[in-house]
Amino acid sequence: MNGIIIGQFIPGDGFFYKVDPRSKIAGIFFLMIAVFLLKDIYQVLGALLLTFGLLIIGKISFIKVLKGLKPIFILLIFTFVFQILINRQGNILVDTNLNISLINIGLVIILFVIWRFLAKFKKFNFLLFLGFLFGSIFIFIYSSFSFDYNLTSFNLQIYEKGIEMSIFVVIRLLIIITLSTILTLTTKPTDLTQGLESLLSPLKKIGFNSEDFALIISISLRYIPTIFDEANKIMQAQASRGADFSEGKLKEKLKQVISLLIPMFIIAFMRSEELADAMESRNFVPGKARTRIHELNYSYRDVLVTAFTVVFFAVALLFRLNVLGY
Amino acid sequence: MGIRFNEVSHKYSSFSDGNLSAIYQVSLKIKAKDEFIALVGHTGSGKTTLAKHMNALIFPTEGNVEIFNKIITKKRNRDIKYNEIRKKVGLVFQFPEYQLFEETVLKDIMFGPLNFHISKEEARNLAINALKLVGLDESYSNRNPYNLSGGEKKRVSIAGILAMDPDILVLDEPTSGLDPAGKRVLMELFKDIHKRTNKTIIIITHDMDLVYEYFSRAVVMNEGELVYDGSPESLFKEHDLSKNHLDYPNTIKVLTHLNKTLKLNLNVYQKTAIDALKEIEKAGIL
Amino acid sequence: MSYIEVKGLDYSYTKNKKVLKNIDFSINKGDWVAVLGHNGSGKSTLAKAMVGLIEPSIGSIKIDGLELNQDTVYDIRRKIGIVFQNPDNQFVGVTVKDDIAFGMENLAVPREEMLKRIDFFAKKVQMEKYLDKEPSQLSGGQKQRVAIAGILAMQTDIIIFDEATSMLDPFSREDLMKYIKKLHEEGLTIIMITHDINEALLADKMLILKSGEVFAYDDSHSLMKDKDVFRNSYLELPVALEIANSLTEKKYDSVKEKLWEYVSMK
Repeated sequence: MNGIIIGQFIPGDGFFYKVDPRSKIAGIFFLMIAVFLLKDIYQVLGALLLTFGLLIIGKISFIKVLKGLKPIFILLIFTFVFQILINRQGNILVDTNLNISLINIGLVIILFVIWRFLAKFKKFNFLLFLGFLFGSIFIFIYSSFSFDYNLTSFNLQIYEKGIEMSIFVVIRLLIIITLSTILTLTTKPTDLTQGLESLLSPLKKIGFNSEDFALIISISLRYIPTIFDEANKIMQAQASRGADFSEGKLKEKLKQVISLLIPMFIIAFMRSEELADAMESRNFVPGKARTRIHELNYSYRDVLVTAFTVVFFAVALLFRLNVLGY
Repeated sequence: MGIRFNEVSHKYSSFSDGNLSAIYQVSLKIKAKDEFIALVGHTGSGKTTLAKHMNALIFPTEGNVEIFNKIITKKRNRDIKYNEIRKKVGLVFQFPEYQLFEETVLKDIMFGPLNFHISKEEARNLAINALKLVGLDESYSNRNPYNLSGGEKKRVSIAGILAMDPDILVLDEPTSGLDPAGKRVLMELFKDIHKRTNKTIIIITHDMDLVYEYFSRAVVMNEGELVYDGSPESLFKEHDLSKNHLDYPNTIKVLTHLNKTLKLNLNVYQKTAIDALKEIEKAGIL
Repeated sequence: MSYIEVKGLDYSYTKNKKVLKNIDFSINKGDWVAVLGHNGSGKSTLAKAMVGLIEPSIGSIKIDGLELNQDTVYDIRRKIGIVFQNPDNQFVGVTVKDDIAFGMENLAVPREEMLKRIDFFAKKVQMEKYLDKEPSQLSGGQKQRVAIAGILAMQTDIIIFDEATSMLDPFSREDLMKYIKKLHEEGLTIIMITHDINEALLADKMLILKSGEVFAYDDSHSLMKDKDVFRNSYLELPVALEIANSLTEKKYDSVKEKLWEYVSMK
């Protein structure tokens, strides 16, 4: 497990790397709120451009941000489709009948099989998916045979406002993902926890100890690679005893999973006991005042980031309150 | 033929395999019976990687491994039951904590056999036999494996593999962490199992004293390459071990020191302290 | 008065089974004491008791005149540090630098001072080039060196090594021994728990535990002349001394001398 850094952090030296994590966390928090204050498509488009501007300033490649989008790709599509179908304002753009019939369903199934069959060409995954999606829609709209047995049909109506809203929502999501990617890409997990600790420290008054919280997070981060490593060894040790995790009946599988979990738990317990001993022997006392080796320092960059956030937030708020308008 | 490595290389690509070392172009033959082999090498020499190929836990990235006539290559082969291979070649990991999980010793040992769909009755018999083989009596059957001493846990973990009745037994540093007496007892145990069952036993170790005293064949790995395969005697006589980051057995070192400082002519190749003592007495020093 | 005094120490995890029985010994400042014993002899329990991680049922531990109890435990831990067996389970920091700092942070050492000490002690264990490395990028031996630096940075003057080499390979082991030797030369008091006689050889004194009791405590040289002490406590002498102790006739004196010389060369 050589040199794995948990999280998305990639070492670099762009502008945002040198910004104090506190201003980054606070900044991104308020920018996200501001994005939700914006009201129409032109405003979010402007915000999107500004966000791309941030990427350019920070010398962060678009590809890395796109990779960050991958896991929520389905969510984006779903949001888009949902918005289009649900909104019924403005001029009507499309008005057509969708026929769901035996032959249509058959054709779609065939299309689906072709799609899954081609899915091994991973490079074109996205194109194939779009092909399947639009192919299915095409089939439902245009294929109709006189001898076909129509199960049901419904009216597909797409309105101007629907398209606008779906684009609006998707852009808003894009901005939020991009912003959070900027944060996680340019901030070490340790700095992130320390930034959070510092920002949450006022909560001490209501009994939340942010220092302990940060220590817990940083120790967890430190032990994730070790635990991965161990899980792998345990799995191999049990595989050597014939535990086959890919085959077998449900009951056997259950046993095999238990054979992994119990050693993992027991080792984790032993580890935490030893770790507690080691920490205690080095004079750690929970809740006692400590000094810190990591120091967070504000610089002119933080002023810039804060100023940008404040201006952005103020403008968004004014739009919302209709003080600014067109 | 038991296991045969044909120019096997293995390079780790991703993070999932831990900080293990690669091996390069290893060719090696291990018989299905009667062998007692020490696999030695410094940390990072690739000996554990080599061992994990022996029961197809990992696959070669180049070359192939033949295990009881099944050929293991880079690709997973649907026709090969990898489980069956693991039944024939048992691998015992260094830390018993990696495998012990049942509430009683006997149940834990039965886990292996039961994975191969045999009756409970039969698995029970196999487990009891395995327990005897590692020198623990039946009173251990119902004890909790986690309440045993380090040495006893180790024995139970070995029994867990022996219960599957493998033809070849591979042990990863079984003596590490044990006191000198525990080490000897365990080595005697392996010798005894070997004698009684004729199983081929392969033991990974750092301890050159043990290699010299107990083994008939030593396989030495260095920086991912197999650099020696032969008797320990000729390994220590004819090879410069420092090149392989290895040490000589203590008897050899001590007697060499005597020869050098006292200008003696002792035969330094003595396996134990008693042999060394006899050699000194034979020389009859004035 | 001795620097460390342990008197009449008893400890039991469960009611009827004592792990330590009436342990008595004292250690002078700057001594190097090896604590030897078979698996389960109570070595590690003794170590834990000495840093106040467990509380003995009876008996007392005094370090530098201070008796170990609830009130003094934090002051005592400033004087005595412990390096544990498993390199992975005592590395608290995310990086080497963080880990060396951990103890000092707990003592509320000012940051400037911390940075100075980190530099100084990282150099001492030759880890200065690894300050930003994470534990997964280090070998077991390197992690143990970091643990040593972390303790030294707290300015302790006693270090207990609790089988600290047992999970390392022979070369890292030898390497770590060199550092321990250096620390001893610089005046630190060292207590080394081990069952490897080859490591214990370097110590001034040996304390042999057997089934929770002190079986023998004497200077290393005179203990090692007695072959029965080791055999009776399930330990082994180094090969050279096993031979030396069996050579009783006078004509072998020169050989014996050389065998002892060989042992002390290490």
